[in-house]
Amino acid sequence: MLLSSSTYFIFLAALFLLYWPLSRWRAAGLAILLFANYFFYAKWDLFYLFLIPLGSTIDFAIGLGLGRFQRPGVRKLLVSLSLLLNLGLLTAFKYMPFLFENYAHVAGVPAPAWHWTFPLGISFYAFQSLTYTLDLYRRDAKPTRSLLAHLTATSFFPTTLAGPITRVADLIKQFERPNKQLDPADGGRALFLIGLGLLKKLLIADYLAENLVNRVFDFPGLYSSAEVLVGVYAYALQLYYDFSGYTDVAIGSALLLGIKLPQNFNMPYAAANINDFWRRWHISLSNWLRDYLFFSLPGKRNAVMPYCNLIITMTLGGLWHGASWNFVIWGVLHGVAQAIARGWQSWRGAKATPWTPAWFRTFWTVQFVCFAWIFFRATNLEQASKIIEQLGELSYATTNVSGPLWIVLAIAVAGHYLPKVPFEKLREGFVRAPFFVQALVLMALIVAIQYIAATGAAPFIYTNF
Amino acid sequence: MPLPRKVTFTLLSLGLLITAPDLIPVLKDYHVFDWTSVAKVVDFQPRVRSANPVEEEQQRLKPEISVEKTPVRPLVDPKGALEPLYAALFATERKEAGAITRILHYGDSPTTADLITADVRSLFQKDFGDAGHGFALVAKPWAWYGHRGLDIKGSGWKIEPANTAELKDGLFGLGAVSFRGGAGAQSRIVLKDPTHSEVEVSFLSQPDGGSFGVFADGNPLEIVETESPVVTPSFKKLKLPDGAREIRIANVTGRVRLYGLRFGKDTAGVEYNSLGVNGAYISILARMVDEQHWGDQLQHHRPNLVIINYGTNESVYAKFVDTAFERELLRTIARVKKAVPQAAILIMSPMDRGQKMDDGSIGTVPALSRLVAIEQRVAAEQGCAFFNTFEAMGGPGTMGRWYQTEPRLVGADFIHPMPNGARIVGNLLYKSLQEGYRRHKLRIAREKFATIKESNSTPAN
Repeated sequence: MLLSSSTYFIFLAALFLLYWPLSRWRAAGLAILLFANYFFYAKWDLFYLFLIPLGSTIDFAIGLGLGRFQRPGVRKLLVSLSLLLNLGLLTAFKYMPFLFENYAHVAGVPAPAWHWTFPLGISFYAFQSLTYTLDLYRRDAKPTRSLLAHLTATSFFPTTLAGPITRVADLIKQFERPNKQLDPADGGRALFLIGLGLLKKLLIADYLAENLVNRVFDFPGLYSSAEVLVGVYAYALQLYYDFSGYTDVAIGSALLLGIKLPQNFNMPYAAANINDFWRRWHISLSNWLRDYLFFSLPGKRNAVMPYCNLIITMTLGGLWHGASWNFVIWGVLHGVAQAIARGWQSWRGAKATPWTPAWFRTFWTVQFVCFAWIFFRATNLEQASKIIEQLGELSYATTNVSGPLWIVLAIAVAGHYLPKVPFEKLREGFVRAPFFVQALVLMALIVAIQYIAATGAAPFIYTNF
Repeated sequence: MPLPRKVTFTLLSLGLLITAPDLIPVLKDYHVFDWTSVAKVVDFQPRVRSANPVEEEQQRLKPEISVEKTPVRPLVDPKGALEPLYAALFATERKEAGAITRILHYGDSPTTADLITADVRSLFQKDFGDAGHGFALVAKPWAWYGHRGLDIKGSGWKIEPANTAELKDGLFGLGAVSFRGGAGAQSRIVLKDPTHSEVEVSFLSQPDGGSFGVFADGNPLEIVETESPVVTPSFKKLKLPDGAREIRIANVTGRVRLYGLRFGKDTAGVEYNSLGVNGAYISILARMVDEQHWGDQLQHHRPNLVIINYGTNESVYAKFVDTAFERELLRTIARVKKAVPQAAILIMSPMDRGQKMDDGSIGTVPALSRLVAIEQRVAAEQGCAFFNTFEAMGGPGTMGRWYQTEPRLVGADFIHPMPNGARIVGNLLYKSLQEGYRRHKLRIAREKFATIKESNSTPAN
């Protein structure tokens, strides 16, 4: 059940109508949310009904243990168990085919068959779940005694497919808050975000994907260098609109149920350098990697190790996105770039005035990010090298980029760099509008999607991870 | 806690607006809601992903029911137009000395990338023997160009495909692409299979023509002069040393004009030549190449079968399909017949070509069916065989279906097959030709049997 499908919105509307009358009883409210979470998982595969409750219950028990035991050895053992459990799940259900393939390649034997991969990437589940036990281990949070709240938080359906990765402890706090109410302004913002997310996904991301990006990446040899370059830029925009569109729908859905999720994007292609980019792109993942991986690596006081740790962190972050060498290369590229940027900043001093104007730094940051996206988008290294090879041909025709495509690209660029103030004014205007105006605006959006966008929307890119 | 009032009212109003076209007859043409979505909410059927989409599609297209009783529908050859091919295959199969069956496959972008043709080539060569790679262009006119088993790299050439050339003399060789080069122009072709015994370079001899050198694994084979008092297509066949893998061809003096290299073997077998031009349409053979020059090229290669496989690029120009396509096809057939009257001709229809329909589904370009019908009718009238690729794949809507398989069988342009999709089409063509050949052999056997029976039953004088 994709977050852009009509099925999802029927499910969400039904849940909204059931949840609020029941939420006056805390347990009933949580129970209906938990039911909805597992219902959502079951739509992808019934096996999740076994896997997710089992994993979450074990983490809950580990959490109780971390709350009770103070001896460092025991706490280390408990947190190690949680790491083993969640990373084990991730390995078993996501990375085994990749590991087998590489083993087979090295050993020169046929790759053993592995049938335990599932349609829904459980990377988000595993990372979100780990926030609970890791926070408890570091004493950054207190354990909950409510299994119901814990199960509901770890499997909260808006964050299941592609984040934002939210600290379980924060979610539990919100679930356990008494006298929850939906502020009418928050309700309006939720609907606005859902509408905006659909617009981003179906009218921009899917249009770019279908009319240029997929074609260029399928057969780069059929396009000129200029068209391939436009295709790569278009992919950068597609990915942003796809993922931030998903995030808007997820945040809006949660807000309809009175739960606030963290922001995930902040004009990433306006970043002045690569470190800045990662403070603006997939913020919840960047924070996770920083808080739980980078800070855990040894050698903080060493002169060289922090740079190596950056590369290690980003390489593992790349691998987290998918079991393929493409993602490893993508992660290494970002890790090395971040290490260089950090080294440069340390050498120059944090407060030194940059030599170059801001637009220049942003321009080159975007070029680097787009180059790295080639590895992220390509299905394998051969395809990535074909794209790069074709870029190097230096042919300039742009006949395959149609007029409407240029217009959508221009809208996408303008939409990304739109200042926050007019956007917020638009949102607050929607929030203040009477209910029937809100309904009419949403209806207009649905009609636009029906008649302009390609029907049969593609899955959100990040749900694959 | 009561329902949040404003959001509830918004949602209910939106629900009413969405369902209005289903409730109010005058709005019935403006449906925005699919009621089956409601049932889908509680549908827990897992998404079925095929582990073997290629094999399953092949099985679906060619169910293994008795071939004896089922005519192979996509191949239409009521008048035995393919007899010259079958006769050649018969000799090749019996490994008669020098029995090489030569097939020239002309087509557009899939052929350029050696998609489909590479699969058919390998199937033929597996069953009948490998007579070599056949013709390859001197360098890559398009990044998309390829020939399976050859790694081609060239530099310094002025490359002119017939459909986009500044040159209007029509002298584009067998592959419809000309390569002009002066100092520094060279190409390097690496063969995966080192058992080829000869290479033949085709070029243009002309006044003031320069010379080029051919090298095998770094050793010079010959310096070839292209100067001649008259402009004429020429060919230089050279023996390759045993195990040669890297062939280099380079300009030596002056300027030369080359067309391609043909890689051959001494053994009986099939040589399947892939002759594609990106963006090609039927007029490339009907008009853009010089009739005499192209005819000389065809005669030199002595094909047993010429496949004319166009239509994809034309199919989006409905007016061209309805008014000019037939004329251009007839003209092309006439040129082939005049040049190589002994060769069989197979008109191969284009694959399905998809486009987004108003309802969002992927349908077939409207003029495609008409174009295929024209090809079939012309083939019948001209005594050519016809292969209906479009119907063999599954007819209208195939591109939509193939796009939705995982992994996809066609690209996102709904035109070009992915390697797996090409393999299916190649198999369909090969199986049809193989079945035609099997029938040919059966008929020969029957005729022989009848002759023997007749001679046995005739009383001796």
